[in-house]
Amino acid sequence: MSLSRRDFLVRTGLLAGGLMTHGLWSRPLVRKAFADIGDRFLVSIFLDGGNDGLNTVVPLANGSFANFRASYELLRRTGPGGLRLAPSILSPYAIANDPPTNTPLALHPGLEGLHRLYQLGKVAIIQGCGYPEYNLSHAVSRSIWETGSRAAMGPGWLGRYLASRYGATDIPGLSVGYWMAGEFRQQVTSVLTASRLSELEFPLDDWYPDDDSAKLSAFQAVYASAQASSQPLLRFVGNSGQATLTATQAYPTLDGLYQTDRGSWLQQYNDLDSGTARRLREVAKAIYGVHQGVPNVAARHFALSNGGYDTHANQGTVGADQTHYELHREVGDAVELFYHDLADMGIADKVLVMIWSEFSRRPQQNDNGTDHGSQGPMFLIGGKINGGVYGNHPNISDSRVLNPGATWDDGNTKYSQNNADPHRSTDFRDVYGAVLKHWLAIPESEILSSLLQPDSGDPNEYWTSPQFDFVQPVNGQPLFLP
Amino acid sequence: MGDENTVLGTLHARHLLRRTGFGVRQSEVNAFSSMTRGAAADRLTAFKPAKFRPSGKDISRRRVSWLKYMVRTRAPLQEKLVLFWHDHFATGYDKVQDHHWMADQNRLLRLYCKGNFKNFVKAINVDPAMMEYLDTFRNFKEQPNENYARELMELFTLGVTDLAGQPNYDQQDIVQISRAFSGWGWDWSRNRVRFNDWAHDYMTEYGSERGPKVIFRNHGGFGPAGRDFTLPGGEGPQEISQVVDIIFEHRDTDGKNTVARFITKKLLEYFGHPLPSYPDNATIIDRIVQRAAFDTTWDLRRLVREILVDDFFYETASAVPFSSSTPKSVVWPVDFVVSTLRLLRVTPRGDKWGNWYIEGGQYGNVPGYLADMGQILFEPPSVFGWDWEEGWVNSATLLARYAFARDVAMARGTKVYHLRPQLLMNLDLTDPGDIVDAVTGVLGIRDYISTDERQALINYLGGPLDLHDFAVRERKLHGLFALVLQMPQFHLH
Repeated sequence: MSLSRRDFLVRTGLLAGGLMTHGLWSRPLVRKAFADIGDRFLVSIFLDGGNDGLNTVVPLANGSFANFRASYELLRRTGPGGLRLAPSILSPYAIANDPPTNTPLALHPGLEGLHRLYQLGKVAIIQGCGYPEYNLSHAVSRSIWETGSRAAMGPGWLGRYLASRYGATDIPGLSVGYWMAGEFRQQVTSVLTASRLSELEFPLDDWYPDDDSAKLSAFQAVYASAQASSQPLLRFVGNSGQATLTATQAYPTLDGLYQTDRGSWLQQYNDLDSGTARRLREVAKAIYGVHQGVPNVAARHFALSNGGYDTHANQGTVGADQTHYELHREVGDAVELFYHDLADMGIADKVLVMIWSEFSRRPQQNDNGTDHGSQGPMFLIGGKINGGVYGNHPNISDSRVLNPGATWDDGNTKYSQNNADPHRSTDFRDVYGAVLKHWLAIPESEILSSLLQPDSGDPNEYWTSPQFDFVQPVNGQPLFLP
Repeated sequence: MGDENTVLGTLHARHLLRRTGFGVRQSEVNAFSSMTRGAAADRLTAFKPAKFRPSGKDISRRRVSWLKYMVRTRAPLQEKLVLFWHDHFATGYDKVQDHHWMADQNRLLRLYCKGNFKNFVKAINVDPAMMEYLDTFRNFKEQPNENYARELMELFTLGVTDLAGQPNYDQQDIVQISRAFSGWGWDWSRNRVRFNDWAHDYMTEYGSERGPKVIFRNHGGFGPAGRDFTLPGGEGPQEISQVVDIIFEHRDTDGKNTVARFITKKLLEYFGHPLPSYPDNATIIDRIVQRAAFDTTWDLRRLVREILVDDFFYETASAVPFSSSTPKSVVWPVDFVVSTLRLLRVTPRGDKWGNWYIEGGQYGNVPGYLADMGQILFEPPSVFGWDWEEGWVNSATLLARYAFARDVAMARGTKVYHLRPQLLMNLDLTDPGDIVDAVTGVLGIRDYISTDERQALINYLGGPLDLHDFAVRERKLHGLFALVLQMPQFHLH
């Protein structure tokens, strides 16, 4: 059916030859070699819809200093529509205790792949992440997380960093999917967006390949003109089109390279047969290409998402066809495979995966699902991660959480920055800051002056004193190993 | 500065028709150029809403049915508005899983597209596709579901904050409104929505321990007492209608009607471009609300009419050379595809599997190209609808646009499925400049192309051409059509 696909290899050859003679590819892509990420990679995975944190990191039993399991059983029912996860099915997935309350914790059984990585010491679970005056609108909260700003406006938090270090036709990042990931959003440099690298193919007329170089020259000329325009939107489309044309030359070759060199890994991603596995497979192809030094391939920042977490109804418990289980299974298994793929490449120490969601869900379940809630866990995964449980479990024993109907309070756990509070929340900007400071090696002064803006207000209630230097409670070592 | 009595002229006539329709032909521009803005807007908004409902035995066929209707409609503004409302009252088949309901909602959007906005929202309250999508069908007294209550205020009527950035409501209001919407279900025996007493959170009789339903104690200009739902016997259908009535009385921190400002802003940005920040946006919005008396009549036809005569609407019409302050807006994928098909008079080809494909290049199905461009009809990415403007533009979506352009230009032949330049322009032309002008003229962007860009297209043609020569025409003229369709200017308006 598709002439263009059949002739793809032939045409790629023609295309490269034509362009060589026109000298279009002579410009070095990475203009600023001093980008802080160095030889590292960063992968952001967004759980779209608001992941239920309480059924992700679950109290397994009551702890010495809190009765979270008892509260959990009041909040999550058994029986039809009930969301409670029994200790017997949780116990194989136990993790470290909640530091302040000594509450035994476990991961949702769907996260078995992630749990195996946890047992290898490669997963940091950061509990209770949120921000003050939590907003329970998907759009607004997602924007707050994407921008790293409670104003929920402007470029993404990684976008601001990319814009400060890369130029208009550099391609420092890849957003896997149809949509540009919000955390990358900015208009200075070019972030590639593609569902599959093999689809990055510039469409030319298969009937008249002798006209290809004339067409590309003309395309190049009209887009160069747009790039020089003072009209911002025209310039933006011009830059995007130009970077796209550049990418179509380099990136599709990564597909074949990975297939040739790492065919058995490719097969394992395909066997998982999930959207997250397919998206991480594309990231793996790109990382492998960069690692192998493929010309004009320089993406080191990646973003992807998995949808379906807005489980107002039919959230389910454990087993096939149970919504939340399937979601966890998809991400846990794909991330596990991705980690081992990178370890096999010898670069597990060079990659950091960060998993986040725009908010969590209400501790008290509704009929058979959960409504929007405040703080939830984040995950950091990588060879340099000092695995363990960080942060504090949100206080689900609060009377307003256990009995919201009495006051028509919304029944969410409170955000707190009070150091005396054993259930103190972790502000998500502390996690971003830790990544910027310890993974991207950006000076804390620069982070605080231009990337993350601390709140003003009561220091017990607002994020006024950033703490980017997380320490693992059990072994006392930093979150990022040297 | 102009008003409803300003004569359009060619540039503004083309702009008006382009923004209110899908592509525009020179004959239409000629018919409108001597009209005043007011007369033109009256004519464009005078259509009688069609009862069209996309047909087909599955959602893919209904999607194609709607696209075909957009291509052939004689009231393109109606379809532009239906598209707007589909984005506004975003509902996705992925969750609804009932294509009959999706089609019913599509007809509802069409019937109300320029009707009374308050009645429109009341109809959406009990639209089965929406009730399924935002869980009104799963909202019970003992387990209230807040999904619809939140989006009713946040997305459909008020917005999270007003123009000045102040919150319009709080969580308490969401909880109270979700109580009002409890108890609705689908009656499978009668195939209609039903209000179920047993699942409804009553104000007094049974559920009095939860107290009366009161909203807007802290926002909306109702004072500390807020507003309670005190209609006698008014539970169920009357109650959710009353909720809408109260929301439509909401005043923002400037004392203006919040719903009127919110909807006017969104329509202005749809037909124009993103508004400046507060308080400059309020000046523009308020003058249009006032002229249309929208905060009392809720008449969408008058509102759209006043938008189409306002200077703000004509700001993006500016021809080259552009300055840094010339506003522009990114063309939606559906607009790009439907406009291209209408302008080039290319009819995609159907098959027995319900595909509707371009007879050239990859032979792709039209909804497939649109999916790659980031716009699947009946499948908005979320309850927020699509991400407009720069959100449409990235390497994946651009490549999909380029591929569609290439494939339409490669649809060579003599049938209705094919690009036949002889229908569109004079093939006696030989001068490359004349040919470029003809093609950019057919595609309606001649005013937006600089002399450098025109020269680049002339260079592509290479010299005088005999367009009656089959090989020359197919190589260069079809190539030129693809190039112009791929130019940034064709994707901005």
